[in-house]
Amino acid sequence: MNDQMSLSNEIQTKVNDLFIKGFEIPSEKLTPTASLYEDLGLDSLDAVDMLVHLEETFKIKVDGERLMEVRTLQNVYDLVAEVARNAGSETVAQHAPALTANV
Amino acid sequence: MTMAPAVKLALVTGASSGIGKGIALRLARDGYRVLVHYNSGRAGAEHTLEAIRSAGGEGDLIQFDVGDAAAVEAALESHAKEFPNLPISVLVNNAGVHNDTLLGIMSNEAFDSVMRTNVNGPFYLMRWCVRKMLRARAGTIVNIASLAGQTGNAGQANYAASKAALIAMTKTLAMEVGTRGIRVNAVAPGLIETDMISEIPQIGEMVKRIPLGRVGTVDEVAGVVSFLCSPDAGYITGHTISVNGGLFPS
Ligand SMILES: NC(=O)c1ccc[n+]([C@@H]2O[C@H](COP(=O)([O-])OP(=O)(O)OC[C@H]3O[C@@H](n4cnc5c(N)ncnc54)[C@H](OP(=O)(O)O)[C@@H]3O)[C@@H](O)[C@H]2O)c1
Repeated sequence: MNDQMSLSNEIQTKVNDLFIKGFEIPSEKLTPTASLYEDLGLDSLDAVDMLVHLEETFKIKVDGERLMEVRTLQNVYDLVAEVARNAGSETVAQHAPALTANV
Repeated sequence: MTMAPAVKLALVTGASSGIGKGIALRLARDGYRVLVHYNSGRAGAEHTLEAIRSAGGEGDLIQFDVGDAAAVEAALESHAKEFPNLPISVLVNNAGVHNDTLLGIMSNEAFDSVMRTNVNGPFYLMRWCVRKMLRARAGTIVNIASLAGQTGNAGQANYAASKAALIAMTKTLAMEVGTRGIRVNAVAPGLIETDMISEIPQIGEMVKRIPLGRVGTVDEVAGVVSFLCSPDAGYITGHTISVNGGLFPS
């Protein structure tokens, strides 16, 4: 339970970091309900770029079509968490420390 | 003293023979480190690499079947892991096949196999590379199409369709990624002096119809690819350059 919590915090922090550094979006805009397209100003190509970012950061493989379901920042957190979970707890455990270490 | 520019990597598919070999040699001469790709022709690819090295260039070999999505991905991922600081700056989709017969008697296999290599292949490669190029906000893709894809050609319904598809994919991707500084173009060779055309029985008759009165050379195709990859072509994207001696003025 606790591990689950800290993992989802790590995902949030890391994803937010990506938006701040990769897309130069001010951190105060990064609320879970923020729409990637309307509020954060991403276009569809940025979304593809974001996907590549996520794959590299979390060492996961995301089916590109899943982008269709992603509207808000919360959706991004959930997608990463889901893919990481399905990739096996081993992967998650392996990368969790790196996530904390970097932020 | 100016610093030597960072080495850029160019992947040329089907560089084990013919036009692909010429393109690989030319891009190496232009200063690219070349990923010499082959499928079954390892000896040919090794020969290409030797020629690159003996001319003072750099390169490596890479093998996969372009029509096998998983194999494309595995090979490119493993290369990226091995050389994390050497992303692919230039992709040349040159690998291609033909399997000619009249449409009325063409087998499913003949149709599908040509599509698989000539259309699915470039699609898999472009999908992988463009994602990396988006990250880098730079990159150039050149697709080797064919005159047959512009005009159609009796006996080549599968091949002509595949090359027309490649031209359409070139235009589309150019529109999608232009804002990120990535250029995507095609080259449409006519009759080029390679093994592919040495099999054509009526070649003499065909040459008579070419305004320049001869077949083209591999170097004349490679030179256009080199131009399209260079900053001189910095404002050209979504375009198909014909290299056909005037056979089909476009
Ligand atoms: N020659 C011409 O007059 C002419 C005219 C117009 C357009 N073109 C186009 O130019 C390109 C090169 O033609 P070329 O005449 O140089 O042909 P080529 O000598 O027959 O070479 C074809 C290349 O494609 C590779 N290849 C074939 N199937 C493959 C697969 N499934 N996976 C990976 N690689 C594969 C081959 O690799 P391996 O041998 O290693 O298997 C070989 O290196 C083709 O796209 C062709 O359609 C040629």
